[in-house]
Amino acid sequence: MGGYFFRQVWQNLNQSRWINAITLGTITLSFLILGLFLVIFLNAKGLMEDWGSRIRVTAYLSDSLSAEQVSHLRQKILHFEEVRDVRYRSKDQALKTLQESLKGRQGLLRGLPRNPLPASMEIQLQPEHRNSIGVQGLVAKLKGAPEIEELQFGSEWVERFSAFMILLQVLGMGLSGLLLLATIFVICNTIRLNIFARQQEIEIMRYVGATGLFIRTPFYIEGALQGFLGASLALTMLFFFFQLFLTKVYEPLEEMLGIFPLHFLTWEQAAAMALGGVALGLFATQVSVGRYLRV
Amino acid sequence: MIEMVHVSKAYDLSPSALLDISLKIERGKFVYLTGPSGAGKTTLLKLLYVAERPTEGEIQVNGFEVLKLKPREIPRLRQTLGVVFQDLKLLPRRTALENVAFALEVLKMERKKVLEKAFQALRLVELERKGNCFPGQLSSGEQQRVAIARAIVNEPSLLLADEPTGNINAEAAEGILRLFDEINLRGTTLVVATHNEALPSMLPKERIILDRGRLVYSSLPKPPQEFL
Repeated sequence: MGGYFFRQVWQNLNQSRWINAITLGTITLSFLILGLFLVIFLNAKGLMEDWGSRIRVTAYLSDSLSAEQVSHLRQKILHFEEVRDVRYRSKDQALKTLQESLKGRQGLLRGLPRNPLPASMEIQLQPEHRNSIGVQGLVAKLKGAPEIEELQFGSEWVERFSAFMILLQVLGMGLSGLLLLATIFVICNTIRLNIFARQQEIEIMRYVGATGLFIRTPFYIEGALQGFLGASLALTMLFFFFQLFLTKVYEPLEEMLGIFPLHFLTWEQAAAMALGGVALGLFATQVSVGRYLRV
Repeated sequence: MIEMVHVSKAYDLSPSALLDISLKIERGKFVYLTGPSGAGKTTLLKLLYVAERPTEGEIQVNGFEVLKLKPREIPRLRQTLGVVFQDLKLLPRRTALENVAFALEVLKMERKKVLEKAFQALRLVELERKGNCFPGQLSSGEQQRVAIARAIVNEPSLLLADEPTGNINAEAAEGILRLFDEINLRGTTLVVATHNEALPSMLPKERIILDRGRLVYSSLPKPPQEFL
């Protein structure tokens, strides 16, 4: 039974080799571009998250605060929805940190009549608030608090990068959407041509008692197979190009660019892409079969 | 086996392709359906294998009430009958054996059994030695026999043949009739549509005559006027 279907599929593929090769090529190209955008997007997103986690608001405190007031202020800040964590740094800790960062040049600090550094609170934001709106919202709540002398924050660069990510996402989705539409059209057309090529056979099948599902099944297998092969081929090529980029372009420039590891798709993402190919093939077949195959 | 009650069929270009046909063909009969070209023979056969639906009337074939059949149920009826088409409908890129086997493959039968039965059917039509030939390599009479082998390979209880001797000489036609007789003797009901008036005299059997869509003669017992 299953053997019959695969024989039919093989026969279809063989009968119109060029059309099927062009179809496979189109699916592969579409998925290659889609995969490329996905790899760029996911890596950029990783970079964004990494940078975003470094967004902090630092509140420099007045010297006159008692331990109780500091504790009260910390609790108050922790209750803001934008805040994930608050780390208090006393005047002494601030000085110690400065001394450590001035390795070998501690002499600069000698002779100071008193510790000039203020105590501070380093406020870490919740992931969803690591943008300029989140930062501005928190700053608005902290401004005017008598315990705080000065606030330090900066998020414009994150905002710009975030806008670039949105642009990349829209561009990627738009282009991939168009390519997938073109792919559906090409698969539809191939299946349609195969239906026409087998018109006589299909007519006889109907008259000798084949069920509609039996007649349609080889076309579904063909569509799913083309989608799967196209997506898998694209993944293989993408992996090859990725490795090539890593060794020939990225690694030589790594020292200049800093350490930011690039990642390929996870196996779950790759499997989802291959399954996406199957779904696309099945969908396109359904469109063609529904329109051109009357059983 | 076959019952038609007040059956009519109209097409846009032929409003009276069939007019008020009532007939009953019992199991095991061999019936000629004759009449000139355009009399409605092919239309009547098409109604029996549900390639067409009647405009009016009721039809029962092998226990199936045709009008009540849903599209997905039609294959079940077709699996109980064999059809020899006027244009044979042989697949040119398949061998004789593959053409015959094709009818069984769609019935989801095992490949080994399919080939075994297809070979038996070819033997019955005396073409077992030409199983590997493509239709284009066979004579008209041999092609006709391949089409018959394909129609009987699933051992149908009813065989419908549309002009089965249309393109062959008298000698080959007689051979085909002998073959039909043999198939009939095995218990299969036969309805053979032909415009060739000589056939019924070569092998006399029951006869129905159509003319311009009307039943003008039947040697069969009078049918009931409605289903029981």
